[in-house]
Amino acid sequence: MSFDSRSATIAAFAGAAFAAAALLDESALSAYVLLTLTASVTVGVSLLMGHAGQVSLGHGAFYACGAYAAGLLATHGSPTWLGLLAAPLASAAVATIVGVPLLLLRGHHLAFATLAFQLIFSSLISELSITGGDVGLQGIPRLSVAGIALTSVRSYAYLSCTTLLLIVVIAQNILSSRPGRALRALSSSEVAAASSGVAVGHYKLAMFALSAGFAGLAGGVYAYYMGYLSPGSFPVMLSNEYIVMAAVGGLGKVSGAVAGSAVVFLLVHGLSRIATLSGMPSTAPIILSYAVYAVLLVSAVLFLPSGLLGLATTIAARVRGRAASTVRKAQETAAPAGDGRDGTATAERVASKHGSVS
Amino acid sequence: MIRVEDLSVRYGAATALDGVSLSVAPGEKVALIGANGAGKSTLLNALSGMVPTAAGTIRLDGRLAHVPEGRQLFADLTVDDNLRLGAFRVRERNPAWIYEFLPELGRLRGQKAGSLSGGQQQMVAIGRGLMAQPDILAIDEMSLGLAPIIVQQLAERLSELNAQRGLTLLLVEQSARVALSLCDRAYVLETGRIVTQGSAAQLTDSPFVVAAYLGSPVQGAL
Amino acid sequence: MSAFLSYLIHGISLGCGFALIASGIIIIYRVTRVVNLAQGMFAVVAGFSAASLLDAGVPHVLAESLAIGTSLAVGVFTGYVAVGRRGTSSQASLIVTLGIGIFGYAVELLTWGDQPRSFAGLAGSFELLGVDVPKQDLLVTPLTLLVFVALELFFERTYPGKAMTACASNPYAAALQGIGVRRMSFCGFGLGGALGGVAGVLLTPLHPVSYDSDVSLFVNGFAAAILAGLKRPVLALAGGLLLGVAESMVAGYSKASYQSSLALLLTLAILIVQATRRETLHALEES
Repeated sequence: MSFDSRSATIAAFAGAAFAAAALLDESALSAYVLLTLTASVTVGVSLLMGHAGQVSLGHGAFYACGAYAAGLLATHGSPTWLGLLAAPLASAAVATIVGVPLLLLRGHHLAFATLAFQLIFSSLISELSITGGDVGLQGIPRLSVAGIALTSVRSYAYLSCTTLLLIVVIAQNILSSRPGRALRALSSSEVAAASSGVAVGHYKLAMFALSAGFAGLAGGVYAYYMGYLSPGSFPVMLSNEYIVMAAVGGLGKVSGAVAGSAVVFLLVHGLSRIATLSGMPSTAPIILSYAVYAVLLVSAVLFLPSGLLGLATTIAARVRGRAASTVRKAQETAAPAGDGRDGTATAERVASKHGSVS
Repeated sequence: MIRVEDLSVRYGAATALDGVSLSVAPGEKVALIGANGAGKSTLLNALSGMVPTAAGTIRLDGRLAHVPEGRQLFADLTVDDNLRLGAFRVRERNPAWIYEFLPELGRLRGQKAGSLSGGQQQMVAIGRGLMAQPDILAIDEMSLGLAPIIVQQLAERLSELNAQRGLTLLLVEQSARVALSLCDRAYVLETGRIVTQGSAAQLTDSPFVVAAYLGSPVQGAL
Repeated sequence: MSAFLSYLIHGISLGCGFALIASGIIIIYRVTRVVNLAQGMFAVVAGFSAASLLDAGVPHVLAESLAIGTSLAVGVFTGYVAVGRRGTSSQASLIVTLGIGIFGYAVELLTWGDQPRSFAGLAGSFELLGVDVPKQDLLVTPLTLLVFVALELFFERTYPGKAMTACASNPYAAALQGIGVRRMSFCGFGLGGALGGVAGVLLTPLHPVSYDSDVSLFVNGFAAAILAGLKRPVLALAGGLLLGVAESMVAGYSKASYQSSLALLLTLAILIVQATRRETLHALEES
């Protein structure tokens, strides 16, 4: 996709997202906030899994880290905007420190390490008195930026929407830059990338820290939105949710992460609503959501390895291919000696760009 | 015993075998000669059912044991275990007759297969193939990486088997020298197609085969 | 001293449970090259099933056996979904097992609810060197040893066991001999399921199980498996015992909530040291 059409897509997406924040009614807005925050984390997870090949079973820890960083600063007298700034930095810092030894590991050793990390982190925040232990942090003040306090749900919806857009723009720019191309080389073959001079270790660490930073920023917003935090807000299952969303949407693509998050989130929450109708046992919503996550994850991995995005681009390519051949036929009948190449060539170029996964 | 007609095998978009036809009669010793990538291993994999075919037919009258390229032993298991596992498909699992036939293996029976020399491993691989009591023994690149004298010994044993038990042999080789000295007939495979075939004598004299697969007489002497 | 002994004994039982989980993970990995993230779930399902069956009046041993049968079946199902489809990569299979574990949550909540469950194992306790040892603890260790001996015999002495090892060692060559790699994979998963079931059935009387117990079981089992290099189940016994005793000691002498963390840190440290050694070796080779 050329630069212009990509920015156009992002602009269109931004417009739609803001419109939703402005127009949705109160009851839908809380779901909106959670959705956009979840999508923000999922972007990072998707990039990690799609490009650096790292299955992060513990990404929820970075979300929690950012949330607690912001919460701790805010409850100890710091200006709230500082807390929000500290959130992604704290997560990225932790990721960098932890990542240096951790990223020496590969494959399932690394997956184990990420899970172990989240468990250890959860254990820490449950135990340390500074984080409030099992009870957690209460009374986190509302975020106020330049004197304006964000008090309504709608204001947080705008904030979380902005957060997601910021993350999308950063991620997209990084992917299309030179380091980003190196990253994509990484995803196809580490050995090949290393031999062509890519500092594999550095990129993996940078990717890890960046995705942690994204999660941290989302966590910071979450802290101010909720006003309180507890270890129970960040269960291990949270990390699994990000993985499901990333897989369903299509690994490695920013748009895939957002699409996957939206689809999975809406599906799960929609079905949960049905499950809370009278007559259903109280555990029905949770049972249903676990079942939906599981079925979506397994189906995506087995049947849609490139996710919904891959499916969409395959369909789009086929449609364009058919359109191009129609154009070609029309051009041939109009000017038999003429060069129908332009139309078809563009279509093929577009098709091949959409067709590639990474 | 083996009749292949117009066989084609594809890996994705690449064609590994293109309209290959060959036949092997019972008790024959036939060679398949070709360079790396010519499709020889693919043909054997098709015969032993390891890869799907895109077109053509394969007719096998009898059991075929495929001794793969690079021996592919179960490195962590003993020689004895490797042999016994060769008999997975048949009832008789006792490798005693293999030890009789290849006494060197008898000495090695308790050793881990991964710790053996190349020649010894090849012997185990052939023994494992024989344990399936095949009618046809198809060996892929038997001579690769082995000293000529070892290859000679193996070839002698195989000849014995062929003479005494009527075991049909299909040898796949890059080195035509070994194949043509042992076998009666040969096919030459190039990029998925049979380019020439004939008796061993005919092919040894053919300048084309000599140039491509036998090397000059001076080189051969080395 | 008696406190130490009591922690030690409890740690040994715990460690046996971890070792059993580890052995399931190892066997599945050896045969299919897939790390089974649902291994903990097998134990939980067996624990719950045994509790329900015993509640329904089914006698001991029969109830536990049926429970293990259930987890075996769940194991085969997991294998079918994870590796049954041709061309599924190892990473994809890994994620599929994660999905099945999550599905397990749904089924467990539906069938047994969200409260922890236990059942009485061997009632009563025993006095050993001045310590009251629950009889269940004394049951766990010998049974675990029995299972490990059986596994060792199976893989080293029996033909099917060797065929399974062959599958793990060289799937192509195994297929050439007629060994059905797919069927072996399902058998491996079934065996893993059964082993998880044994762990669940032995541990639940000591430690009530709930639908989210699988995470800590898995993490500890996997740690033990990794310490064993994912190779021979017997080595996992050592690893599991080490972890179990370490955790029990930490829980006894310090804070119970830190027990897992320390064991995990220990495992991570070992993994990282191994990896660093490998990196330095590579660097040395290249220079």
